[in-house]
Amino acid sequence: MKRTGTFNLLLLLLSSLVLLFLVAPLLGMFISTNAGDFFATAAEEEVRQSIWLTVWVAFVSTLLFALAAVPFAWILARKEFPMKSVVQGIIDLPVVLPHTAAGIALLGFISRDGFLGKIASFAGLNLVNNPAGIALAMAFVSLPFLINSARDGFAAVPERLEKAALNLGAGRGRVFFTISLPLAWRSIITGFVMMFARGMSEFGAVVIIAYHPMIAPVLIYDRFSSFGLKHARPTAVLFIIVALAVFTVLRLISDRKPTGIKTEEDAEA
Amino acid sequence: MLKLDKVCRKLGSFRLADITLDIPAGTYYVLLGRSGAGKTQLLELIAGLTRTDSGAIWLDGVNITQESIQKRRIGLVFQDYAIFPNMSVFANIAYSLTSGRYDRTAVKERVISVARELNIMHLLDRDTRHLSGGEKQRVALARTLITSPKLLLLDEPMSSVDASLKDDIRRLLRRLNRQGLTIIHVTHDYREAVSLASRVGVMHNGKIIQEGTPDKVFRKPVNRFVARYAGIRNFFRVRFTENNGEYLAVSSKNITFSLSEDSFPDEGMIILRSDDIEISTVSPPAVKKNAFRGIVTEILPTESGYELTVDAGEVFYVDISADMYKNHPVTEQSEVWLNFAAEALVVLQGTG
Repeated sequence: MKRTGTFNLLLLLLSSLVLLFLVAPLLGMFISTNAGDFFATAAEEEVRQSIWLTVWVAFVSTLLFALAAVPFAWILARKEFPMKSVVQGIIDLPVVLPHTAAGIALLGFISRDGFLGKIASFAGLNLVNNPAGIALAMAFVSLPFLINSARDGFAAVPERLEKAALNLGAGRGRVFFTISLPLAWRSIITGFVMMFARGMSEFGAVVIIAYHPMIAPVLIYDRFSSFGLKHARPTAVLFIIVALAVFTVLRLISDRKPTGIKTEEDAEA
Repeated sequence: MLKLDKVCRKLGSFRLADITLDIPAGTYYVLLGRSGAGKTQLLELIAGLTRTDSGAIWLDGVNITQESIQKRRIGLVFQDYAIFPNMSVFANIAYSLTSGRYDRTAVKERVISVARELNIMHLLDRDTRHLSGGEKQRVALARTLITSPKLLLLDEPMSSVDASLKDDIRRLLRRLNRQGLTIIHVTHDYREAVSLASRVGVMHNGKIIQEGTPDKVFRKPVNRFVARYAGIRNFFRVRFTENNGEYLAVSSKNITFSLSEDSFPDEGMIILRSDDIEISTVSPPAVKKNAFRGIVTEILPTESGYELTVDAGEVFYVDISADMYKNHPVTEQSEVWLNFAAEALVVLQGTG
């Protein structure tokens, strides 16, 4: 009894230390920021534009890449093919790469001399120092979160449900959109939120691709390196509050019933 | 109706081998086998969910081996019914009709018609996640029947249904079959085969090892595996011999059985159904053949009465009804006489 008590106490202590380590710096930053500086920063056009740019570019980047990544995740969950484990490894690669290295690699690909850069320049688009380039950098480092979560979601959908739909005369596309996708929806949304969050908070890869226009993490770094900690802090606090608000909203959406039960009217439509 | 010609399919280390079947229209075909025998894989091959490595599948004279699953018109009801949890009962049943080919009224009429037939009108607006096993099964059946399949495949349809509902399901399946629907029903329970089948196939390790009418398969199993499947527990390894025109089988414990068959190898195995043995507490006339005295060693209650284990030199398992048990009360260690007709002893072929 006494041993169990000591062990539990040790667990509690270690858990508290981990939690404190995570919360203390954020809490310290919030406490050290005075309200006047905070509201003055929130009123700055540069800061507002930067945060807005970060949010919409991360969102659009996640949305566009999801169109290809979600079907790809279904293939990974359902199909066996040669070198599948190598493909899985490639998907996880951005997670282990230093993000500045990822930015350098991506810059070679999207600069005017790079493969994608050349194609974009035909359309009159320079991807470097452009929101499109920022979106690519965000996607590069955050795609694994969506693909892996969606893959796990599809894998959890019983395959016989898809087989039953095929047996009822549905084509592969209809089975995907009416069975696989709605049933894996929660994992896909979770992956979407994770990718979006990771994209929004990306600094290393983005700063190589586009110092300007400044996304919020770059702006925070810029203010820190130019004016010091005190000046960077209110921007960081504001960005964290906005990010938390966005994630809370997305979480609330993803925690709702996946697609709702189809009613008689839906079925007839 | 359905013909399978030397169909083969390798699935990992398992192999469906040379499956040949000919099932006429209107047949209620029960495919018996233990789990892992390959029954479900065979159904998926017939339905088109997987493709054959070799061999051909014919439906109504048309080779459908390469036909897509959507065009085969073969309905498959999965073991756990595979009801779509993200749709209502109505949407599940209407699933095959909601790809734009039918107008709303036609869809509604057809769903209501099939729901009435299966007595599930009251479930139509229900969330499928709260249905019982029996309700799910009816919904799955309705969802398949609405496609007007030429052939209905049922994978273990009784496995998730309460015992009290099994009779209802049996009645429903018999009715569908009487209406002309050809059914292939996969199960591991020989009693389902006895109660429903017009033909039975027994599957083991990816092969169909015996096929025929239930009477033929259960009365004349080709080997010990099929016999065990038919619920037979009395097996005796014997030497066969002939004495003055009488055909005899002598067991390893020197019990001599009198046979009616005249075709057997030198050595082999004979079987005897538990319900073919008569039991009595008084000695039969001395001239009676296949009469043995024994001691009751165990009495176990069964669904319909009791199973007695009797040691008469060889161990016999005897089924008796509850009424019979009441009229001839025996206890463990009672002395009893066992008697059976020579025709009840079946020589297993291929066990010599």
